[in-house]
Amino acid sequence: MKEKIKRWAALCIVGILVMMIPACGGNKSNNNLITFEKKDKRVVTLFSPMEKTKPDADNIARSASEKTVIIAEEKLGLTVDYITYTAEDYQDKTYDDVALDRARNDMDDLYLLNPDTIQILAAEGKLMDLSGLDSAKNLRDVVKAANIVNGKLVAIPQEVVAYGLFINKDMFDQYKLELPETPEDFLECCRVFKENGVETPIGANRWWLETFVLAQAYADLYNGGNTEAEIAALNSGEKKYSEYLRPGFEFLQELIDKGYIDAEKASMNEAIEGEGEDFLAQKTPIVMAYWSAANSETAYGKTDFNMLVIGFPSSRGQMPVMPMTGIAVGVNAKHAEDAMETLNIMTSDEALQVYAETNKVISPSRNVEVECVPALKPLSDRINENVFVLGSNASMKVEQWGNICIIVRKLLSGATVDECMAEFDKLQEESLKQ
Amino acid sequence: MGEKQVMRRADGGISLLLSIIVVFCILSVIVFSVARKLSTEMEASAIQNLSESLDLIESTIEAILNKDAEYQRLMAQEIAAVEEPEKYIQTYRDSQTMVRISLIRSGETEGISSTGESFTEVGLDFSAEGTVDGVAVSESYVNFMGTWAYTMKCPVEKDGKEIASLYIEYVYDSLDRSLPNGFYNKRAMLYIMDAQSERLVLKPKGMGERSAGHLNLEDFFRANDIMDEELRKEVYESVQNNKNIMFHHNIRGKKSLIYMWSVNDGTLYLIGYVPIDAIQQEGNTVNQNILIVVIVMLIAFFLCCVLYSFNQRQQNRLRKEREKEREIHNRQLAEALQAAQIASNSKTMFLSNMSHDIRTPMNAVIGFTTLLAKDANNPDKVREYTKKIMASGQHLLSLINDILDVSKIESGKVVLSVEEFTLNDLVSSVDAIIRPMATARQQKFHVEVRNVVHEYLMGDETRINQILINLLSNAVKYTQESGNIWFRIIGQKQRSPQYERIQIEVQDDGYGMTPEYLKVIFDAFTRAENSTTNKVQGTGLGMAITKNIVELMGGTIDVSSEVNKGTLFRVDLDLRIPEGYTCQQFWENSEISRILTVVEEQTVCESIQMLMKESGVVTDIVPNAEKAIQRLQQTNTEKEQYQLLLADWNIVGTEGILKIKELRKLLSDAAMLLFLVDYGAEDMEEALLLKNTGVLFKPFLISAFQEKILEMKSAQNNRQIESTDVGSLEGLYFLAAEDNEINAEILREILSIEGADCEIVENGQLAVECFESSELGKFDAILMDVQMPVMNGYDATRAIRALTRSDAKTVPIIAMTANAFAEDEKEALDAGMNVHLAKPIDMEMLKKVIIQYIVKGSRNERKD
Repeated sequence: MKEKIKRWAALCIVGILVMMIPACGGNKSNNNLITFEKKDKRVVTLFSPMEKTKPDADNIARSASEKTVIIAEEKLGLTVDYITYTAEDYQDKTYDDVALDRARNDMDDLYLLNPDTIQILAAEGKLMDLSGLDSAKNLRDVVKAANIVNGKLVAIPQEVVAYGLFINKDMFDQYKLELPETPEDFLECCRVFKENGVETPIGANRWWLETFVLAQAYADLYNGGNTEAEIAALNSGEKKYSEYLRPGFEFLQELIDKGYIDAEKASMNEAIEGEGEDFLAQKTPIVMAYWSAANSETAYGKTDFNMLVIGFPSSRGQMPVMPMTGIAVGVNAKHAEDAMETLNIMTSDEALQVYAETNKVISPSRNVEVECVPALKPLSDRINENVFVLGSNASMKVEQWGNICIIVRKLLSGATVDECMAEFDKLQEESLKQ
Repeated sequence: MGEKQVMRRADGGISLLLSIIVVFCILSVIVFSVARKLSTEMEASAIQNLSESLDLIESTIEAILNKDAEYQRLMAQEIAAVEEPEKYIQTYRDSQTMVRISLIRSGETEGISSTGESFTEVGLDFSAEGTVDGVAVSESYVNFMGTWAYTMKCPVEKDGKEIASLYIEYVYDSLDRSLPNGFYNKRAMLYIMDAQSERLVLKPKGMGERSAGHLNLEDFFRANDIMDEELRKEVYESVQNNKNIMFHHNIRGKKSLIYMWSVNDGTLYLIGYVPIDAIQQEGNTVNQNILIVVIVMLIAFFLCCVLYSFNQRQQNRLRKEREKEREIHNRQLAEALQAAQIASNSKTMFLSNMSHDIRTPMNAVIGFTTLLAKDANNPDKVREYTKKIMASGQHLLSLINDILDVSKIESGKVVLSVEEFTLNDLVSSVDAIIRPMATARQQKFHVEVRNVVHEYLMGDETRINQILINLLSNAVKYTQESGNIWFRIIGQKQRSPQYERIQIEVQDDGYGMTPEYLKVIFDAFTRAENSTTNKVQGTGLGMAITKNIVELMGGTIDVSSEVNKGTLFRVDLDLRIPEGYTCQQFWENSEISRILTVVEEQTVCESIQMLMKESGVVTDIVPNAEKAIQRLQQTNTEKEQYQLLLADWNIVGTEGILKIKELRKLLSDAAMLLFLVDYGAEDMEEALLLKNTGVLFKPFLISAFQEKILEMKSAQNNRQIESTDVGSLEGLYFLAAEDNEINAEILREILSIEGADCEIVENGQLAVECFESSELGKFDAILMDVQMPVMNGYDATRAIRALTRSDAKTVPIIAMTANAFAEDEKEALDAGMNVHLAKPIDMEMLKKVIIQYIVKGSRNERKD
């Protein structure tokens, strides 16, 4: 016992001495001169959107992207500076507008761009050709095709963005409704909901209603086995875009007319921010969103009900719509070389694996496969069956994603379907002149 | 007293604990207040530091704005001076700070920009009436480059008349280049907010949602969970009133400081937050160090407490041990005192007893000596008186012997003389002494030996004898006349093959003892009853001596007794079996291979079988004479013939002498017939007349058996043992060394009675000289006292033995000394003496010894 106490006492004293010893040492240099070295900072700027933040929230999409940025920063020894923009409301400049302005004025090195801006900037020659990057070689063909403008690969995405309908399965079950396959099925579902007191069965925003139009317009074009010929006919003016797009616009008009969509609200709602609240509160059984929204807690990643993501109704059944967003490099980027290297790493298989695992998304690299969450299974199954519609296609001379979005907004503002179709005809004519 | 001590100790413990708690509390309060004071001061210092940093940033931004405004005014002056202002403006196309310069002539709504494009004021909001150094500044907006910008509007005056307005658009990115690249180790967030629109126009460029910035003030509040309406109201009011404010707020669980710093009279605001631990890094270090110091102090404090408590406990333990030890010592002392008192009392009583016991025979000696002198002429009375004087003298002698024995044993001077002996010798000698005593008191003395495997043993026969005599003489003494005395030697189960374990039982059916006396029976100087009232004489030392000797031999002694029923003593002894002893040789030499035994008593049978087991002799036992006859009749061959028939004399009583005679006839002539008889057996004459017949006394012992066989064999060989006249010392001449004149006289007288004579010298030296100068063969022996002046008996003996005379080595030297112990005898023999006799001289013993050493010696010489 005595020995034990002695041993402990000795240990304590030694411990105390060890703790105190650093105080005896000194870190002073011999003279009083303190010098600081200047560090050369390699910087690459990245322009990207930023959601309005919620307290204590982690944005899963950003964190996935940031993980790839960190990989690039560590490998290259540089810093990626984020330049962000978010429109305060519908009256503000949109992200796409600002992206166009910034790219045109060579403000940044890397840009995260939507398909329409990719096409516009590529057409203006403001984007660098990325086909020489190592990571470009791993891209799936469909991804590559969607981002080639005038023979140049102008953007590389980190995920294949697939849009679908997010439905409250519990509510469908409650009213004994089958998941809709065709536009008619969909209308029937909306009717039942409406009759049962659901004021607005479809939650919509000013960005993504176009997905209904795209699904109905190009279901046959992309899945009929004659895609290239049909696109060629459109590019040559042999066929009209308005012919393809009319049923979708008419369908939207019907939804608006029957009160299944609140056009006024939709024209002001920002994506998810506007309609998401009602969907999560189970007031609205149907919304539309992109794949990652099913994983993100800031979107629809955590619901109190059984949620499923299905394709949009079309003549060929449920149809996913896949517009290709991507990261592009400004042609006059101040740090062009570093930007190219950064993008190469951010879109490498290693980085995309991390990205896909974090966000549980479909990777643009053919070498990366990740299991999706159960809610996305119906959408994922259709994509795996190669049944989908591209939301944007650089090979089409008339840009689709941005233009349809803008013209749908006009429909929401009260324009007729014919007026909207006339807009498309005008755009086609302008493209034929170029 | 014990309870009081415990309470006092408990009180002490509680007060110690209270003191510790008080010290601990005071220490805690001091440390807490010091830490608190330090923390407050450091926080104030950190806030001061932060406000200075923000002031510096504010000054920097204001300086830039002022320079821009000043430059714009100069430019306006220049434009006023040039003839074609529009062309002048276009020279500024590529400026990074001033991204667009425009001019609208007074009275017109549209002008031209440095980009060559037309310019209107549409989209520019100067309604807030913000100015920089007197130059109007617009609300912030996202410009054509997709970045946040503001426009300053300055009038172009010529000759005191406003001729146009100069608009210059500045981007906030240009301010960013003049701001610190993150402060407080990039942990502080810094935004520039347009106060009018509350939009965040310049944001950090870090990674992540928070680092990359927010949209507007509302978004900033929401993102940082500033939801308290009152607080928000205060903030808005402060912003409107162009105040600099800071407030504490927890951002994602971290205590932070949120700041809003007015720039350019409140047109812009620096807003942001910094975690408290970032601005108080040294504070954390100080607090950590204080904590370390406190922990160290606490550890040291508790260590001291533990050591103190441990020390106290040890002290208490030692004190308790000392008290316990003292108590033990006191008890031991008390016991010792009691024992000493008892011993003193015992000795006093003993002395009293001795005084009485010595005086009694002494009184008899003196009294009868007086009577002897008076009745010297009456031979009958003289003989009677001398007989009584002799008895009294003998009693006195035994008293003295016992006292000496006790004294020797107690002083640890007794050395056992371990030698080989036989149980037969032991039993015989004891029997020889005790049986007459018992017979004298008409008591029956029963001797029994059973289950003993080894009869030849190693031990101090004299001392064992002493034990037995003590016990048995006591038994005789304390048993009424016609009583019974049993003496048993019982073999026990051996613990080791080298040792024979025997139990000696001495039992009587006498007076017995009280339980009280049994407790002190083995104590010295005690007697069953006070000798003054007891007819039995004794020293009271016998049992003490007995117990001491038994324990000296490694044995134990027990006693059980009941008044008027008798007493039983049990002595257990382990006696070593001599090595290499075998009795087989004897039987081979005696040519005895088969023995027939006729014994009825079972215990005797077992004893015989056990003892004969190792002899190698076939020992057949039959229960009666009839069976023995049958057995003898069946022996046809010589090999089957018995060389010896051992018959219990009791069967003669039951079956008659005729059967014995028949048995004798059936035996060969050479075969021996031995009767196993009890002491006192009668009517044996007829039986002993039979051929080759002898008597063996019970108990059956091998050694006695062998001796008897030898004796009978000798008789068979007609070897008559020469009878020796041991009764006379006629004509012998001795040299006696004796310093005591009376003893010398007695010796001379005794020898003269026997017809011998002696020359007496006074010391050893004279004895040596006398012997040396004497003729050869003059002295038949030398009787040597031991304690003498000039030269003692031992030295004298050595000197005589060292002489060169031919008889120096052979002349018998007999020690006659009062040194009567075994050690004395050993020393005497070692010195070269032939034999040792203890004083007072027993004439018979002296004669026997002299005959043994002198007469036999001279006979042998004669034979030679």
